[in-house]
Amino acid sequence: MLTALAWKNIWRNKKRSAIILIAIIFGLWGGLLSGGVMMGMSESMIQTAVNRYLAHIQIHAPDFRKQQDIGLYIDNAEEILTKIRAHDSIESASGRCRLNGMAASPTSTFGVRILGIDPHDEKKVTRIQDKMVRGQYFNSDRRNPIIIGQKLADRLNLKMHSKIVLSFSDLQGNIHYLACRIVGLFNTASSRFDEGTVYVHSADLFRSLGQPLIHEIAVRVKKEDQVSLIRDKLNLQLTGVSVQTWKTLAPELAFISDMMLQFTYLFVAIILFALLFGITNTMLMAVMERIHELGMLISIGMKRFKVFLMILIETVFLSISGGLGGMALGWITLTYFTINGLDLTIIATSLESFGSSTMLYPFLPLHMYLILTIMVLLASTMAALYPAWKAVKIEPAEAVRTEM
Amino acid sequence: MALIEINSLHKTYNTTAVPVHAVNNVTLHIEKEEFTAVVGPSGSGKTTLLNMIGGLDQPSEGEIIIDNTNLNKLSTSAKVDFRLHNIGFIFQAYNLIPVFTARENVEFIMLLQKRPKKEREERSNELLKAVGLQDRMHNRPSQLSGGQQQRVAVARALASRPNFVLADEPTANLDSVSAESLLDLMEQLNRTYQTTFIFSTHDDRVIKRARRVVTLRDGKIDYDKQNVQTVSGE
Repeated sequence: MLTALAWKNIWRNKKRSAIILIAIIFGLWGGLLSGGVMMGMSESMIQTAVNRYLAHIQIHAPDFRKQQDIGLYIDNAEEILTKIRAHDSIESASGRCRLNGMAASPTSTFGVRILGIDPHDEKKVTRIQDKMVRGQYFNSDRRNPIIIGQKLADRLNLKMHSKIVLSFSDLQGNIHYLACRIVGLFNTASSRFDEGTVYVHSADLFRSLGQPLIHEIAVRVKKEDQVSLIRDKLNLQLTGVSVQTWKTLAPELAFISDMMLQFTYLFVAIILFALLFGITNTMLMAVMERIHELGMLISIGMKRFKVFLMILIETVFLSISGGLGGMALGWITLTYFTINGLDLTIIATSLESFGSSTMLYPFLPLHMYLILTIMVLLASTMAALYPAWKAVKIEPAEAVRTEM
Repeated sequence: MALIEINSLHKTYNTTAVPVHAVNNVTLHIEKEEFTAVVGPSGSGKTTLLNMIGGLDQPSEGEIIIDNTNLNKLSTSAKVDFRLHNIGFIFQAYNLIPVFTARENVEFIMLLQKRPKKEREERSNELLKAVGLQDRMHNRPSQLSGGQQQRVAVARALASRPNFVLADEPTANLDSVSAESLLDLMEQLNRTYQTTFIFSTHDDRVIKRARRVVTLRDGKIDYDKQNVQTVSGE
């Protein structure tokens, strides 16, 4: 009956309760939506990087990433690729020959990273084929086809079907030149990547180098949340190579992902902290209006602890009602945008400079709703303390005499 | 031994100027089943005396012994428990819980006593019937007249099966018809349930119906007598 009384007490002053409920609902909704957008942006940045080049896991010879030396190739790359592809949890894998060299046009030269790939394998791991703005992804009968970024083409004054000469050194330090024909131009969200990366057939590079050299194996997993687990399995299975997830390869992205979650909690905590004063004020008014009645309850034998508990329950009911309303509204809004996306083309330049797509898919992990419920409970308990303390300090003899 | 023994009771309010003796050396014994009115002009100390008997206020000196329990020796928490099980309260302004129905108001005190649901329901039905509100038990206080609300308050006061009922100016907010009707009811309940009633009042209608009248003046008992009219009328 105490909970029934507390629930009924909330609705005594419907207008006042409704105002604080609306404040809680929209406060939380705003917090959740902002958090969802931040999470969506960080996820977009991760997915963009993973799909552009990074993949979920990369395998290299030890020290390759530090030294970038052509001689630090993976000895038994084909054998490793076969083993990796046999894993149920791995979707695809692609071997890459990775060289640093120069790209030259008749008018200019620029330093580039040359990626020799098997286009068929690579397109199962990354999604560079979806970023083609001119031409097609290696769909050409021309000899030595190459795809480059639109930005590199602009820098070197090149167009589709122009000739471009790549220069790079082999294992012995001899310089090789490879004349290629541009069959496609890509445009990803990263200007640095677009200016500094070119894709050629690995077979064309191997022919120039005189031997197959695989420096990098990129892996796409089926379930992203199992990346670390799969890395550990591969580390146990493969010897003489370094297996790293995208979180190690791009720690800034992992940091952003973690920070976005922390910021969302912080953001909601600040909103709840501000709402806490509103809730305290509402409950304090409710207590002051009922001094007569609370005095009567203590007079007839209701223990002060129970009076305290009743005010606490009222506050928690009020806050949880608003909290659940806010979370439900937030969940509905986020679900809508998770499915349909949030088109932020209007700020495309800013988003792309962050490496994020302009179409965001805001989301919040489910466990966050549980943590938010706990945060709302804690905030409401804090908000209840002062009004409840005022209620138990009532002197019944004085309170029952108070004029109504 | 009397149900209530009040010995050399004092209550002094230490205001900044001069101390105010609201109750000054009052000694009074009240037996079981009494129907007593404490009367006197405003400021005579009626309410202060009733508050101290009800354990709501602490005496400055003297003692109050109720059914062998010295109220002064009880802690604040124990006093709340004592009130819950021994004293029924009727207030001038009814003081019902506005969000509860009449029946819930009567049940609530039994819930505080942790009585079983069946007993609570039976007792509240019985009492609301006794006060003539069996048809209004699902109405909220705002749907009842002042007289009806005070009847619910009487039923609530009796619901906890108290040793005695303290009523502070119970008829002050009622019209004459409702006041007479309420007094009839309380007299009847006093006889039916052998419940002791103590009123504070300056209402002549109540004074006439009381079997004992204690008159206070300036915090002291001016006179204490059996009401001959009422006694002879019985």
